[in-house]
Amino acid sequence: MFKGKLGIIDLSKKKVTIKQTPDSLKKLFLGGRGLNSYYLYNMIKPGIDPFSSDNVLIFGTGFLTGTLVPNSSRFNVSAKSPETGILGDSNCGGYFAAELRYAGFERLIIKGKAKKPCYLYVIDNTIEIKDAKDYWRMDTTDVQQTLRRDLGHVEVACCGVAGENLVRFACVRTGVKNAAGRCGLGAVMGSKQLKAIAVRGTQGINIKYPEEMLENVEQLKEYIMNSKITSILGNVGTPLLYEVSNTLGAIRTKNSQLNAWSESLNADVIETFVEKMIGCSSCIVHCRHRNKLDGEGPEYTAVGLLGANLGIEDPAKVIELNNICNELGLDISSSGTILSWVFELYEKGIINKKITEEELRFGDFELAKKLLYKISRREGFGNILAESTKNVELFGKKSVDYLIAVKGLPQSDPHDCRYIKAFALGIATASRGADHLRSRPTLEIFLRLPQEVKDRIYGKGIPNDPTSYTAKEKTVYFSDNIFAVIDSLGICKFICHGFNSPHFIDYEWMKKLIHCASGWTFKEKDLQEVGKRVIDIERMFNNREGISREDDTLPKRYFDEPMTLKIAKGHYIDRGEFDKLLTRYYKIRGWTNDGIVKKERVKELEALA
Amino acid sequence: MKYLYVYPEKCTGCRECSIACSLKKFGECNPKKAAITIVRDEFNRYEFPIICFQCEDPICLKFCHQNAYQIKDGIVLRDEDKCIGCRLCAVLCPYNAVTTIDDEIIKCDLCDGDPKCVKYCSTGALQYLDETEELEKRRKKMAERFLDIKANP
Repeated sequence: MFKGKLGIIDLSKKKVTIKQTPDSLKKLFLGGRGLNSYYLYNMIKPGIDPFSSDNVLIFGTGFLTGTLVPNSSRFNVSAKSPETGILGDSNCGGYFAAELRYAGFERLIIKGKAKKPCYLYVIDNTIEIKDAKDYWRMDTTDVQQTLRRDLGHVEVACCGVAGENLVRFACVRTGVKNAAGRCGLGAVMGSKQLKAIAVRGTQGINIKYPEEMLENVEQLKEYIMNSKITSILGNVGTPLLYEVSNTLGAIRTKNSQLNAWSESLNADVIETFVEKMIGCSSCIVHCRHRNKLDGEGPEYTAVGLLGANLGIEDPAKVIELNNICNELGLDISSSGTILSWVFELYEKGIINKKITEEELRFGDFELAKKLLYKISRREGFGNILAESTKNVELFGKKSVDYLIAVKGLPQSDPHDCRYIKAFALGIATASRGADHLRSRPTLEIFLRLPQEVKDRIYGKGIPNDPTSYTAKEKTVYFSDNIFAVIDSLGICKFICHGFNSPHFIDYEWMKKLIHCASGWTFKEKDLQEVGKRVIDIERMFNNREGISREDDTLPKRYFDEPMTLKIAKGHYIDRGEFDKLLTRYYKIRGWTNDGIVKKERVKELEALA
Repeated sequence: MKYLYVYPEKCTGCRECSIACSLKKFGECNPKKAAITIVRDEFNRYEFPIICFQCEDPICLKFCHQNAYQIKDGIVLRDEDKCIGCRLCAVLCPYNAVTTIDDEIIKCDLCDGDPKCVKYCSTGALQYLDETEELEKRRKKMAERFLDIKANP
């Protein structure tokens, strides 16, 4: 069967229900992030506490996950976020999602709360709720290896100690470093006393037109492999982006007090720590580093946020912090941003030892390491840090001015968004808060990309100047939509048209891949509509939680402090220009001037079933 | 004669090879239903493709009581009409290269000279090459090493 099942698990009632997702819904939202967002909107009442049993936690595979389609390893974990109080959603690779499909399931929806630690054992069309007392308190590698010892070669998604202790930026982990990192979804697992989901399956995904899929993928593979960016990513991985941003003067450094940092963290140095490059399921890019320090990574995010942003130059130390976050189950983006925030607040005298217990300073590896452990166990100052951006209340109003976050979500991209205006609009409007993987038009960073290439992707009238505000709403709009579709298909963004390269999977390719897998015929316009629908329903979720125009903003620093170094020197975000850009963005989205999804559209999307 | 050669140091573990194999042979995407298996463990840090070595003196052939196996142009082939599905070949193959799942016995036939696993491998971890003395030595060494790992895991 190409179609998989929908497992609904009520942990309070210890009840498992197995259903099918109606085709009608899949035609509207495909799967992955799209369907997850649909279910979140329909299953979560506004205003609930994310740690209450009313929160719903969803593990949803993409429409094409687990197939021969390149890089189709992805799934989304979604719930109301305990870090932000709005839509929580995080996309993840690895082997878990494909295995879930091979076990016969497309999606697991977890409701309620267990009375004692439990895990789910999913094996060939069945789901069992099992006792996890032997696995509780285990680090993420330990629990996965122990489950494999006990159950055979299962693929596991789990939370770490941080999740158990309800750290608001705890991640969901699978494998050595794959994480549904953002929005604190590991803490939602912890709140439900759900330590892990272990999956094993032997069922295949039946393909409607096998020969057509073999042919399409052969062509697509050649197309992708011939791109320069593929071989670079396959050789050095994302740390490549560190150098690109740093050369520009756009690496967040010491909580964005500076905008450039050491070349000691460049990709060629990181490369010396790599033992082997490996891939996720079905991946042909293989950007994952198996490092020589017993872990995997670091990605660009870790290099930037655990390196430059904490004032650390030694790549070995950055990799060690990266590995620690992975073991404890902490989101690297939030960890690096929150630590740098309190370091600066301490330096500025906004907080003191009464709160921090000790002196805080940038560049102190041992301090950063110790704090990560304390956060994961909620010990002392760690218990405060575990509250993430909610500490604004405790630290006082002045502390907000130094917080690099939007809608309560610390910024994930180590890229300082004061130079490239489209990046700034992207993080200001992304549906989960300050995040680059929702809509970043990465191509803006490649300054020498021919104008006609950009025209072809985003439409005409967009100046080939990243510092211009003109028409940048169009680049964000395009990216936001197509990334929502690729997330719903379960394909990695690295091979999505317009993310890293202008030549990857576009709507035309998506049409072909969907057709050979399922026999369904989509028009390009239908796929664009899927993207718009996903963005709108996510916005509806957020509107319902009180999000409007005033929340679509940027860290104060981005407006008020021009950058000081390199090419980006002197650049900042002009409030007036930004405001106009936001208005134009709402206009093409069809939202009200206050950033609200219009009533007719809400009615239309609420009627879908 | 061309054979499959394996370069585990280049294998990323992605399983496009086995998914392509299952898609070609059974019309489904299922890495566990393929004539090539990737044994991988990210925690113990290895990725290793398990393929049929097309043995000169194959155990699958030797012990098949229905004479369903034959060697044709250096390739060990199973005749589905003769096979009664007893799975002795799958049980006995020392390389775990004959797999069995859902009442199917799966044995690599090199796709009539166009092996799909090689076509969909993106790193050159699998190669379909003309037999040379050096390659044969490597292949035999790998087979021995595999038996050694199996004996002393």
